[in-house]
Amino acid sequence: MPGKKHLHIESSGQLCIYCGACVGICPLNCIYLDETRITFDEKVCTRCEICVKACPVGAIEIG
Amino acid sequence: MSDLKTDVLVIGAGPAGSMTAKWAAKNGAKVVMIEKRQEIGSPVRCGEGISKSWLEGVGIKPGRWINLEVEGARIFSPSEKVFEINEKDAGNEVGYVVERTAFDKQLAIDAANVGVDVFLKTAAVTMLKENGRIVGAKVKRSGETFEIHAPVTIGADGFESQVGRWAGIPTNISTRDMDTCLQYRMTNVDCDVRYCDFYLGKVAPGGYVWIFPKAEGLANVGIGVQVSKVTAMADARTYLDRWIDHHPGYAKGKKIDMVGGGVSISAPIKQTVADGIMLVGDAARMIDPLTGGGIANGCIAGKICGTVAAEAVHAGTPTKEFFQKYEKGWRALLEEKLYRNWLAKEKLVQLSDEVFDKVIDVLQGYKLEKLSVHNILKAVHEKYPEVTKEFEEFL
Ligand SMILES: Cc1cc2nc3c(=O)[nH]c(=O)nc-3n(C[C@H](O)[C@H](O)[C@H](O)COP(=O)(O)OP(=O)(O)OC[C@H]3O[C@@H](n4cnc5c(N)ncnc54)[C@H](O)[C@@H]3O)c2cc1C
Ligand code: SF4
Ligand code: SF4
Repeated sequence: MPGKKHLHIESSGQLCIYCGACVGICPLNCIYLDETRITFDEKVCTRCEICVKACPVGAIEIG
Repeated sequence: MSDLKTDVLVIGAGPAGSMTAKWAAKNGAKVVMIEKRQEIGSPVRCGEGISKSWLEGVGIKPGRWINLEVEGARIFSPSEKVFEINEKDAGNEVGYVVERTAFDKQLAIDAANVGVDVFLKTAAVTMLKENGRIVGAKVKRSGETFEIHAPVTIGADGFESQVGRWAGIPTNISTRDMDTCLQYRMTNVDCDVRYCDFYLGKVAPGGYVWIFPKAEGLANVGIGVQVSKVTAMADARTYLDRWIDHHPGYAKGKKIDMVGGGVSISAPIKQTVADGIMLVGDAARMIDPLTGGGIANGCIAGKICGTVAAEAVHAGTPTKEFFQKYEKGWRALLEEKLYRNWLAKEKLVQLSDEVFDKVIDVLQGYKLEKLSVHNILKAVHEKYPEVTKEFEEFL
């Protein structure tokens, strides 16, 4: 979608520890975690940045 | 795999799920419990500290999952004055440090032994609905999708909980009502195996640092920080690393494991049931908002939830009205304390380091008959009346 910022979850194992904190707080329930696979619904996400703050290891970037 | 039918479908095999499944099966229901991970209880997302007074009541026998029994807890103020709570004062609130993987597995074994079918690597991906009621879930296993039909579905999918929201039960929480947590298992540290330690104040805004000993020299060193207090400069890990750097007894240690997760610190939510579905444990936001502990409440509610699930199956009435028996049952046991502790937490998160120091200063060496927010405030009131002004409603 034009105008939407880029959201990136560093989930290749470099940063993300697959803890589910972002999944639980996302107000739109648009993040999915399955063992070591984490994805989010690009279309639903409003880039509210709440998940960025909820991540204990800084694995989510919006910019 | 072709579609399945069962009486009760439990989504999530954590303590709350296993407990619910067990009590539903014990009461004669056919139960399937699905778990998206390949190994129950792993990876651990837990400090592994529990009290022990509730275990017997829900039918959990002590086992090899106990690492050690502590004598008490120590609360450290920002200037590291210490308030010690021994087991007697705390009314059995302190207790065991456990091995969560073993604990969760034991509860799943207990469930399986009374007839629960457990499916691993099986994730619910959406709810099945019929005329507005939940009648099971669509699940995914190794890329294969199939349906599990059940008159009663249980959302026991933990903090992440999507089941409740898929079913239309409002379980969203705000950034004020969540702590973001990180924990290292550390070896070669100077922990004291007699105590669970808690450090309050700016070291962990809106939460605390915990040290739960696993053995001599081995401990869970973790932190919870209120999400609304996280800034772009510092996430939970930054705070925890900073705390460790400032404590030589831990800075010299080695990290052997890192886990994280979210903990809700909200007031009890208004609704935990709907037609065809009940929520239990973290999924129902049952974590104690003051301590962040959720295992006990999940198990206590799980026993009621499973029992009511079986009754609904036998009566053929898996309705929201029938499930009020669970809604009222768990609230009768837990709601008042959850609410009281939420109020206390709301105040605590506003306290300055200076006030924390004063409070702990008063409590140092003070003999409390029974540990409660009320008794603590009464003691503080005697020495620093100005500090307790804000807390008058508790006195
Ligand atoms: C860092 C940290 C430290 C903590 N320390 C303590 C402590 O010391 N003491 C204490 O009492 N509590 C502690 N807690 C809280 C405690 O871990 C939880 O309250 C407890 O695990 C709740 O149990 P539960 O069964 O409700 O959920 P969980 O134990 O989270 O179990 C939920 C299960 O559901 C599965 N699941 C999720 N979604 C799906 C799906 N779609 N399909 C299938 N399966 C699914 C998950 O994989 C998981 O196994 C801590 C929490 C954190 C994050
Ligand atoms: S930015 Fe907001 S809407 Fe998007 S995934 Fe994160 S929490 Fe969800
Ligand atoms: S909160 Fe961060 S570490 Fe946890 S699952 Fe989400 S992106 Fe990964």
